[in-house]
Amino acid sequence: MTIEKILFPSRFRELAYESLETLFPLKNAGLKEVVFFHVISREDVGFVPFGGYLKEEENKLREEAVIRFADWQNSLSERGIESKVIVHVGETVHEILKTAEAEKVDLLVIGRKKRVDGASSFIGSYAHKIITRSKIPTLVSKYMVQFKDQDATLTKVNKAPFEMPLYAADWTERSGRALDLIASLRGVVRKVFLFFNIDEKTLEKSSETEVESLRASISEKLQDYRNRLKAGGIEAESHIGAGGMLDEMIRISRERKASMIIIGNTCKDRLLSNILDRSLSYQVTKMSELPTLLVP
Amino acid sequence: MHADLGEILPIWSTLPFVGMLLSIALFPLFAPKFWHNHFGKTSVFWSLVAVVPFSILYKGQAVHEFLHIVLADYVPFVILLSALYTVSGNILLRGTLVGTPVVNTVILIIGTVLASWMGTTGAAMLLIRPFLRANSHRKNRTFMVVFFIFLVANVGGSLTPLGDPPLFLGFLRGVPFFWTFELLNQMVFVVVILLVLYFIMDSYFYRKEGPRPQQGNTEKEPLGVDGIHNLLFLAGIVGAVLMSGVVHWGELSILGIHRASADVVRDVILLLMAVLSFLTTKKEIREDNEFTWFPMQEVAILFIGIFLTMMPCLKILQAGEKGELAFLIRAVSEPFHYFWITGILSSFLDNAPTYLTFLSSLLGKFYPGVDAKEAVALLIKEHNIYLKAISAGAVFFGANTYIGNAPNFMVRSIAEETGTPMPSFFGYMIKYSIPLLIPVFALITIVFYL
Repeated sequence: MTIEKILFPSRFRELAYESLETLFPLKNAGLKEVVFFHVISREDVGFVPFGGYLKEEENKLREEAVIRFADWQNSLSERGIESKVIVHVGETVHEILKTAEAEKVDLLVIGRKKRVDGASSFIGSYAHKIITRSKIPTLVSKYMVQFKDQDATLTKVNKAPFEMPLYAADWTERSGRALDLIASLRGVVRKVFLFFNIDEKTLEKSSETEVESLRASISEKLQDYRNRLKAGGIEAESHIGAGGMLDEMIRISRERKASMIIIGNTCKDRLLSNILDRSLSYQVTKMSELPTLLVP
Repeated sequence: MHADLGEILPIWSTLPFVGMLLSIALFPLFAPKFWHNHFGKTSVFWSLVAVVPFSILYKGQAVHEFLHIVLADYVPFVILLSALYTVSGNILLRGTLVGTPVVNTVILIIGTVLASWMGTTGAAMLLIRPFLRANSHRKNRTFMVVFFIFLVANVGGSLTPLGDPPLFLGFLRGVPFFWTFELLNQMVFVVVILLVLYFIMDSYFYRKEGPRPQQGNTEKEPLGVDGIHNLLFLAGIVGAVLMSGVVHWGELSILGIHRASADVVRDVILLLMAVLSFLTTKKEIREDNEFTWFPMQEVAILFIGIFLTMMPCLKILQAGEKGELAFLIRAVSEPFHYFWITGILSSFLDNAPTYLTFLSSLLGKFYPGVDAKEAVALLIKEHNIYLKAISAGAVFFGANTYIGNAPNFMVRSIAEETGTPMPSFFGYMIKYSIPLLIPVFALITIVFYL
């Protein structure tokens, strides 16, 4: 698994270009092409009541998008990364997922690049819909965010997300694929924080000896991961958390100054998932101030 | 029935209705972007212009009439349209069709038949994308979409109250569900002529365009229907509407407005069918159908304005020769007058309010002051041809312009979005509806109304 082609949808909001810049280092890990994608909402141009379709308006919005992307394309070209622009009319989530599949991209980059309005969640409804349905690794980019840490409101700029990611292991296949992805990022990732959590239920149910034995077994597995990454030229260190998974992951990511969280995607597309989604990957994306890379 | 209100309302009380209809007719033509962004405010504006002064001047009586038109006409109307729209949006026709004259004609026939059972909007939304996909290789596609609008989005809806909104409004006023089958002869007459014309035109262009270019290794997708279980919900809708016209379970009062219990039950069932259809169908089917609530929201927002502003006009017409529009009632006397006047106005105004206006005018002419349902029963018994004339006029002439019937603009929008050039408002009339439809309607007049 290598990231050679990225889909970068944009609504040209503030700091979108800065967010794009954070992807430039991926060139060192094999990035060849970025596909810029813009969706013109059908409701902005179609179904004029008793009228029809605003073709001129569509053309204008299309041209605007192409011109704006052209500037970004120049920046990529200077770095030897190819790019192309696609503009579609339709429903945002559907068009992004459809295009990601059609273009056979390796990574989808979504999310609002700036969230400093005191929002309680770092993920919007569109991004949530995408992560619940995406079949390819999806990075929820959070270039500039405000968050609370011990009652203080801090602003964080995530300029180099790939440098020191925290990887949440759970021994599943998707978690394995996430590790493969990290291993492919040699030359971009400096250090990985390997993380596994022993949850509250296990702690309650198990005796001291059992916990100790569990801890030893986890350490051993994490050590295998470290060795594997090290063989690929990536430094790693292991951390075992205890208690609430989400809180522990966020705590360790802050303590170690991780630059991103990489986790297997456990989001599921189901009825009312925007309200009822309790999946860990969604909760992390929602609550952590760090960019989150979800691997399905 | 408060016919006395219709007797005292001044002629200027119809101005908000005129303003609302002119807004619908002119803004999309001359200021489409403004209209697209502000149609909701326009609807609210005309509604307030109608509701506020009348409520102040005529107090309780006006409030009662406004509430009545909302609860007894608007709400069921929107519920039925939404239910049909939702269910049809959850059915997806897949597969690779090649648009030959025969295939296209078959699609038009299927659409025409379906329109009476899933509504012109539902049938049009179900078939327009497959129809356009099948013909994406064809150079001349514009006339195909125009015939699609003629047949599927309009004429096809003339057989049941589900087919076209005016007929449902008639049903709500007491026209029996199966009465509309009396339009079958006229419908078949129009459909056969249009299909023959279509086939000749399509065959001509098909030969002229030459063989279909090779598509390389494009995979052929087998034909299929996804979400076919939604036909059950469609049957539920048909059954619910039918039931409300047959059973009599007494009345109940909602905000002081008496409504038949069966009508309320029907509306609940329709909503249930829509919800079940939505919940039991995969999101991907709607997405592949490019389903969006937007057109339905637009219809709901615009029609609240139409219904509220229409109330004074309807009341005056119902008052017959005692009302301010007596001159109109006297001037229009023969069935063919009604066919053409309802039709011409339906071409430029939406056909649903036009139908109601002329139904009210007929009731005012023949049975002033008589309760609407009773008057409709008498009208069918004693002057059936008049009801046929306004029903056929409202449904058929809706095809004359883009603004004649709601699905016309939806079809146009989808066609233009997918790259089929469509004529302008006047281009559509000059190139297509006047030369093709008007002669057919003239023949209808000779055969059925003279």
